[in-house]
Amino acid sequence: MEKTYNFTKLRFVMLSLSLVLIAVFWGGTMLRGGFNFGIDFQSGLNQRIQITASSEVVESDVKDALSGIDSLQVQSIGDEADNEFMVRVGVDDSIENFQRVVKEDIFSKLETSFGKGSIDIRSSDYVGPSFSGSLTSQTLFLTFFALVLILVYIWIRFKLNYALSAIAAIFHDVLFLLGFIGIFQLEFSTATIAAVLTIIGYSLNDTIVIFDRIRENTKVIKGKTFEEIINISVSQSLSRTIITSVTTLIAVTSIFVLATGSIQTFALNLIVGVIVGTYSSVFIASSILLGWHNLGTKQTAKTVRSKNTSEGEVINFNKA
Amino acid sequence: MSIRFRFLVILLFIGLAGVFLSPTIKWYFFTPEDRAALANSSKEQIREYAKKQAAVDLEILTELVKVSPDELLADTYEFLISEAKRNYKLEERDIPGSWTVRSTLEGYSSANEVFSALEDYHREDIMGLKEMKNKILQLGLDISGGLSVTIEADAANLAERLGHEPSADELDEAIALAMTTLTSRIDKFGVTEPSIRKQANNQILIEVPGEVDQETVNSFLHGKGTLNFHIVNDDATATVQNIIRNNPGEVFENGRPSDDSLLPEDVIVLGVYKKDNYDVDVFSNYVAVSKEAGLDGSYLKSVDINRDSITNQPYIRFELEEAGGDIFFELTNNNIGKRLAIVMGDKIKDNPPTIQAGLRYSGVIEGFSESEAQGLSVVLKTAALPIDLNVIDEQAVGASLGSDAIQTGLWAMIFGFIAVIIFMLIWYRGAGLIATFALLLNFLFIMAILSTFKMTLTMTSIAGLILNVGMAVDANVIIFERIREELKSGKTRAAAVDAGFKKAFWTIMDANITTLIAAIFLSQLGKGPIQGFAVTLAVGIVSSLFTAIFVSKAIFTFGTDVLRKETISIGRRIK
Repeated sequence: MEKTYNFTKLRFVMLSLSLVLIAVFWGGTMLRGGFNFGIDFQSGLNQRIQITASSEVVESDVKDALSGIDSLQVQSIGDEADNEFMVRVGVDDSIENFQRVVKEDIFSKLETSFGKGSIDIRSSDYVGPSFSGSLTSQTLFLTFFALVLILVYIWIRFKLNYALSAIAAIFHDVLFLLGFIGIFQLEFSTATIAAVLTIIGYSLNDTIVIFDRIRENTKVIKGKTFEEIINISVSQSLSRTIITSVTTLIAVTSIFVLATGSIQTFALNLIVGVIVGTYSSVFIASSILLGWHNLGTKQTAKTVRSKNTSEGEVINFNKA
Repeated sequence: MSIRFRFLVILLFIGLAGVFLSPTIKWYFFTPEDRAALANSSKEQIREYAKKQAAVDLEILTELVKVSPDELLADTYEFLISEAKRNYKLEERDIPGSWTVRSTLEGYSSANEVFSALEDYHREDIMGLKEMKNKILQLGLDISGGLSVTIEADAANLAERLGHEPSADELDEAIALAMTTLTSRIDKFGVTEPSIRKQANNQILIEVPGEVDQETVNSFLHGKGTLNFHIVNDDATATVQNIIRNNPGEVFENGRPSDDSLLPEDVIVLGVYKKDNYDVDVFSNYVAVSKEAGLDGSYLKSVDINRDSITNQPYIRFELEEAGGDIFFELTNNNIGKRLAIVMGDKIKDNPPTIQAGLRYSGVIEGFSESEAQGLSVVLKTAALPIDLNVIDEQAVGASLGSDAIQTGLWAMIFGFIAVIIFMLIWYRGAGLIATFALLLNFLFIMAILSTFKMTLTMTSIAGLILNVGMAVDANVIIFERIREELKSGKTRAAAVDAGFKKAFWTIMDANITTLIAAIFLSQLGKGPIQGFAVTLAVGIVSSLFTAIFVSKAIFTFGTDVLRKETISIGRRIK
């Protein structure tokens, strides 16, 4: 038998650590003015523009060149020497044919500043007001239903308290990841939703493998408390948990290192998500399961005692 | 399950994957760029190409028959022999012993016949390629570069036009008509195969791959007057027939013959097109019409199909706006007895009807079959958009960014793959080799499934693929860890493998089914990118279950039963 680590001993420390971090992240997000919503959620025009110039062009140069355009954001992307920028303009309803007019405006203004033929519009996204709205509601709706279905599946395969603990761990991961995205003002785009949902899947996967062990061990191992069984199970699954995290991280990191723009942000989301998902399945999910169990047994103990049954039986029940 | 059966199943799947993947591999790695570009072009462009190619070939053959008629026919023209043979038989002539240039050409009755045989060959060649292209893994617009526009039909605008709140049917009809209009307008620009799909909420998604400039889009969204009426010039049309007889390869570039002096200045030559059974415009013949349009279609007010009360023949009745009526009267009154061509873009739709009398605000076109009348009325109706369309989402990706993206994606994938494989080999030794094999097989299956269902590979689905590389080994890891535990408790190889797989099975199933639920919901969400990612993830989960559980088990069992191995190389300190 391998060494058993006492994970549950740390559970209050870890739970508080998580709560504090999540609170700090969300507080920070609020202080920084909420999420940095990307083009998919915020109506407007987003263009990726490369400028061919003899000298280096910085963000402020582009901003100066485009002065006069309302609600403008300029961000340098990729290698600085590439002179590549993301230019975003929020929708202005008073302009008819917004995306056309603004596109031409940007192009001509940049050409005036940096010379004819120096502007390469590498990509251009326009999202109208009604489109951004429908995506948000659709996302919330589908995520909710996915979670309900997952809950039902785990409930059937395990027990309700396993299912609820797993879902609680998911909430932990999602809150943590979103807080992280918010406080560092990473762009919140459709890809972010994909990342969050992937992490839900990944973390669940991790949690279920551990829960499966706990369920199995409660049947096989006799004469140990539930807490001990949890620690044995988590320890037994530990090498698998670590190896899978490592291989996944290797793969995702290779995207992070090589990609640029939204895919890079996407990879960063996944990296953070995999780490937090692994952490939550080891420390958070089983802690909640244990807390639940303890709460349950205390109540059982009370009812049992009131029925004047001997305490020995209650302890036996605890150990089963 | 016997070991032989397991390997048969695996081989079957590998074979199937190979079959499904072969068009994709052929297309991306073995099709020259110019041929690929041709296959991507519109049917009309292919027709032009086939004609040009045939003209070139015909010239070469004519030259050959003069210089060296008794030389054996070159392999490149071998396709001509079969029809020549058929003609020889038909005419009950002796089939020549060897197929020389002369004997082959003598199998044809005229140069025209040879020309059409050559044209058929070149057309089939490219059309075959085009067909193959429809069976391959498509590249998303973010990789191939291109334009995607989501437009929304303005219901309020339709209400205004109709004078009442449109019913759901009326709205659907208007949108369907708008889509037809857009299709024909986009076609007119010769853009490479656009995809136009109806989405929920009165939205239409248009995707045009390749480099597209903004002007093109504006013109097909806001463009007016793609429909015009031209008077047919019968004398010039007769001349056109002559030109074609003398020179079967003539394609009338820009509506003029290659020898410009043959036709009067004020006419252009346009093709007459009819809808075939597949609703595709098929070229029928050339007609010369006046260069100036007599009337442009934006004056059309309404179009209906009616039936003659006595003959029951369908006819089209159209009404014009007042301003257009005067122009139309002048046009028709001066040209009674001539034919009126309805020109859409640069195609004449159906055979031009003859003008019977001067017409002012309304006219009747008759002499069609039911389906022809239907087709023509759609052409007339689509002259102007039946409903206003607003752009709500527009994405353009330059091809340069796309090729950067695919390079990055490929490198990330290769690095991810190699790093994960190295890790697995170091950690699990011999068993790592099995995991590697399962991983590679998994990748093959995913690609095959994605191509079979004609999924589109986008940047996000490449990310999904890479993430999958990391996650796919998970099932193997769970099994291997179990086997290690069983070995530590003192079991033999066979028993440990058996117990390991058995105990790991439900763990893996539970873990993956929950992830699958998330992936399937994700695939219902939003636009292309997320879908691509989710579908890849879902396909990857299913495929990795198969490779990790079924394939790895087969290899382990093979080692135990066939190779009579008694130990397992599955990491340090464990034997």
